[in-house]
Amino acid sequence: MKNKNIIYPFTGIVGQEKMKKALVLNIINPLLGGVLIRGEKGTAKSTAVRALADLLPTRSQVEGCAFGCDPREPANMCSECLEKHENQKTFVEAFGRMKVVDLPVSATEDRVVGTLDIEYAIKKGEKKFEPGILAQANRNILYVDEVNLLDDHIVDVLLDSAAMGVNTIEREGVSFYHPSRFILVGTMNPEEGDLRPQLLDRFGMVVDVIGERNPEQRIHVIKNRLAYEKDKEAFAGQFVDDQQDLRERILKAKKLLEKVSYSDEMLEMAVKISIELNVDGHRADIAMIKTAMTIAAFKGQTEVAPADMLEAAELVLPHRLRRTPFEEGIFNFDKVEQIINDVGSAHNAVV
Amino acid sequence: MQSYNQPWGSDSGRCPLTVKGYQLNKEKSENKSQDKRNKTIAYRFPFAAVIGQERVKKALILNLINPQIGGVLLAGEKGTAKSTLVRNLSQIAPNMEVVDLPLNATEDRVIGSIDIEKTIAQGKRSFGSGILKRAHGNILYIDEVNLLSEHIVNSILEVAASGVNHIEREGISFEHPSRFVLIGTMNPEEGFLRSQFLDRFGIYVAVEGSKSLVERKEVVKRRLAFEQNPAGFAKTWERDTEIQKNQIVEARKNLETVKISETVFKLTADIVNEAYCAGNRAELVMIETARALAALAGRQNINIDDIKEAAEFVLPHRKREKPNEPREPEQDDQNDEEFEEQPEENQDDAQNETDDENDENASESPEDQTQPEDTQAQETDETEADEPENEESESSEQPDLNEIMDRIDAVGRTFMVKNLDIKAIDRKKRKGEGKRIKTKTDTKKGQYIKSAMPRNTISDLAFDATLRAAAPYQRVRESNGLALIIKTEDLREKLREKRTGSTIVFVVDASGSMGAKKRMETVKGAVVSLLTDAYQKRDRVGLVSFRKKEAEVLLNITRSVDMAQKCLKDLPTGGKTPLAAGLLKAYEVIKNEQRKNDDILPIMVLVSDGRTNAALMEGDPFTEAMEMGKRIAGEGIQTIVVDTEVDFIKLGLAKKLAAAMCARYYRIEDLEADVLAEAVRDLSKESSF
Repeated sequence: MKNKNIIYPFTGIVGQEKMKKALVLNIINPLLGGVLIRGEKGTAKSTAVRALADLLPTRSQVEGCAFGCDPREPANMCSECLEKHENQKTFVEAFGRMKVVDLPVSATEDRVVGTLDIEYAIKKGEKKFEPGILAQANRNILYVDEVNLLDDHIVDVLLDSAAMGVNTIEREGVSFYHPSRFILVGTMNPEEGDLRPQLLDRFGMVVDVIGERNPEQRIHVIKNRLAYEKDKEAFAGQFVDDQQDLRERILKAKKLLEKVSYSDEMLEMAVKISIELNVDGHRADIAMIKTAMTIAAFKGQTEVAPADMLEAAELVLPHRLRRTPFEEGIFNFDKVEQIINDVGSAHNAVV
Repeated sequence: MQSYNQPWGSDSGRCPLTVKGYQLNKEKSENKSQDKRNKTIAYRFPFAAVIGQERVKKALILNLINPQIGGVLLAGEKGTAKSTLVRNLSQIAPNMEVVDLPLNATEDRVIGSIDIEKTIAQGKRSFGSGILKRAHGNILYIDEVNLLSEHIVNSILEVAASGVNHIEREGISFEHPSRFVLIGTMNPEEGFLRSQFLDRFGIYVAVEGSKSLVERKEVVKRRLAFEQNPAGFAKTWERDTEIQKNQIVEARKNLETVKISETVFKLTADIVNEAYCAGNRAELVMIETARALAALAGRQNINIDDIKEAAEFVLPHRKREKPNEPREPEQDDQNDEEFEEQPEENQDDAQNETDDENDENASESPEDQTQPEDTQAQETDETEADEPENEESESSEQPDLNEIMDRIDAVGRTFMVKNLDIKAIDRKKRKGEGKRIKTKTDTKKGQYIKSAMPRNTISDLAFDATLRAAAPYQRVRESNGLALIIKTEDLREKLREKRTGSTIVFVVDASGSMGAKKRMETVKGAVVSLLTDAYQKRDRVGLVSFRKKEAEVLLNITRSVDMAQKCLKDLPTGGKTPLAAGLLKAYEVIKNEQRKNDDILPIMVLVSDGRTNAALMEGDPFTEAMEMGKRIAGEGIQTIVVDTEVDFIKLGLAKKLAAAMCARYYRIEDLEADVLAEAVRDLSKESSF
């Protein structure tokens, strides 16, 4: 029966390189703002997200803290941990693996944001906060399948937390706040409806997936799937080494990321692209540089190169080019390429 | 004019607060959790480190100097540091903190209610304060303020107006002062605020991202530096923060010495007059703002520049069209203003809507319906020459009406759609404010707003309210080992609110005649505008077109307004006009949807000139269409007819059809929000619909 719990290995997914890369980048750098995967049914969207669980690194957290606070990061601690920190108390450290926390489309608001602990109230006559999904999601991946079908008021709540990294609760007699910094991962089938632009913008990157067109690859996909269905353990066994490699690569990149720097030239590219393409606000510029830095780290470089910028632009821009709520974003990638080349050569000329 | 000393009138209880009074009113010990929240300030992005956005910063600072300005509304694109600035305002605010009002707040937490713990312990009702108490003397911040529940908005409006939070609920009668600086941020893409709420915000700033290369680069640099080391970054900005804070402290001291001369009063009144603002708040806020500006500059006199600057802050969201006169065609910046104009109209319309919602029923007579539109049509006839599209089309060459070739027109100019009075015939209790329809849902879906005594059997128990109801009686009830004994009479249930959109099927005439005179371009522009509106109201949409011999479902009912827009863009025109077939198809689409979901509010929007020339069966095509229209009306499907007729000789067929369908009738050019002059609005108020 334990066979049942074996998830499809991430490295066993055929093709869909862009989607896989976007997900991996977000694990390396949780500040990238998550990823939205759009595509038709049966394109391994959910499989890929769930498969992430096996790749996630372990990290240190405060023992017994419901929000899994990082003992070394006072900036994002819950009020209890922060108080301990300020009173110079030492934390009991525990190690736990990052998780993929599911937010089902049918979730009710009280379960998402947390609510009054009824049992406790009845037994003790005192108020206590019962944490919800947003509490679990702190420092983890929050996964919303069919994110475009989420109820409006749940989306509002998500917006709040995703923006500030804090979940503020003022409901059902409870007044509370706690950190809720998560990597937002959503999957959706665009045929079933749009995502609100406000929520769309909260995703650091967007990847559009299409089914594999190449017949050979398609056969490969089916064979893998059938092999997995037949004997999950054996199938996963084939990928043990690949999985381990990728895990190590992620850890290495995580370490390297601290050392990655970006030149003024790269910064100029990011900003120029945003200005020329008329992107709303500053999020795109910031996301582009951060993503490029992460890409560089993943490649093992300590300096962002124009190629990284190009790759980053591809992930970060598609959903930010719309001027009206549903105007089709004409993604003129040539222009991006041109700007990158122009800025690059201009600087070379000066040097 | 009201005397300056009592800007909000003495009876309202909102006497002007001096800055000193503001500080005295503070009761800091009250809330521990908020204090804790502010501990993390050391790790937040420093206010002083935000680049650009000078007007936003200034608007916020002015409010810290002079809270009587009444708050700020920041509207603008995403990712422009709106929230960052507001949330970190307490860094530079002497003795003020930012109190968050999250969107998911329930009524009990906003206004306050029974404190369960105390009540149980003491056996008598005891008041537990809410957000409004905490906000007293502070800043009340609402992010995404345009998405806030109508219910909560009302509570806040009431308190903001009177400065007192008056609680009468759950057996508690309590009152406390609650004066705060109201700050809201929003993205206008998601819809606008109703004018009553809008007017509460003293000043308005439209936020935009910086377009300067150098500035933007710096924005990115600082953000990344902050993310790498929040505490370290904050530290490097400590001095600047301190300087800014001192500036505000100084300005506060100055504020009371700033004199207001007669000239200032007069000038302000003149400017406000020019802008046709409703009420007197604009003047008052403008003077307060100018006063703060002078104080900030260290002057004791208000000069012209102060007033000008104040006007820029105060007027954008209050400015209105000059009454009784059609729109001037040369106003290029009209587009910007449409946004601001919209809520005013909305409000009036919404008012009408709610006023007659109660006695509203299906059998509205067509005469009643068309009466105001008649006048409206006349009105716009006169202004027709001013309409740019018409001018254009009049001069463009006329293609053959019976053009056989298909053509695809581009999408014409889009605009903000005025509030279409959609009143659906409804089986559930709904209220038509703000969003098109707010439904009190029976199912457990939707946002929990407040609690109520249960009507029948309870399916959705409001635990918190139940506990509050039970709390006072715990001492007298016999113990059963638990801390709380709950009896049936304590039970409360949740009232939820859900933003349900309507289901709108657009029936678009794509016959050859529509290709003439760029008409299709205008139609596409109009429908896209309606779709934008539908998006903001969370409507579901479908698209049916009719041309040549038949009608075609281009898009089945979907939530994807995106898809609808794409379909529309590629819609070709050409051929005959089978109007009846189009109506029939749309009717089928709606019926199909109703079979799946009994709950929907179907609305059909017909875009056509009514000149049909192809019948479904034998007989006169128009008579057939009229028959079909009557049948649709008989089914209780709400309809809107958008008349595209622009020819010199008007046959008025679409109008006749509208009458038969009991439909709201609009000429295509009337859809635009601010085309309707105030006069028409007044007329429609007088008439009985």
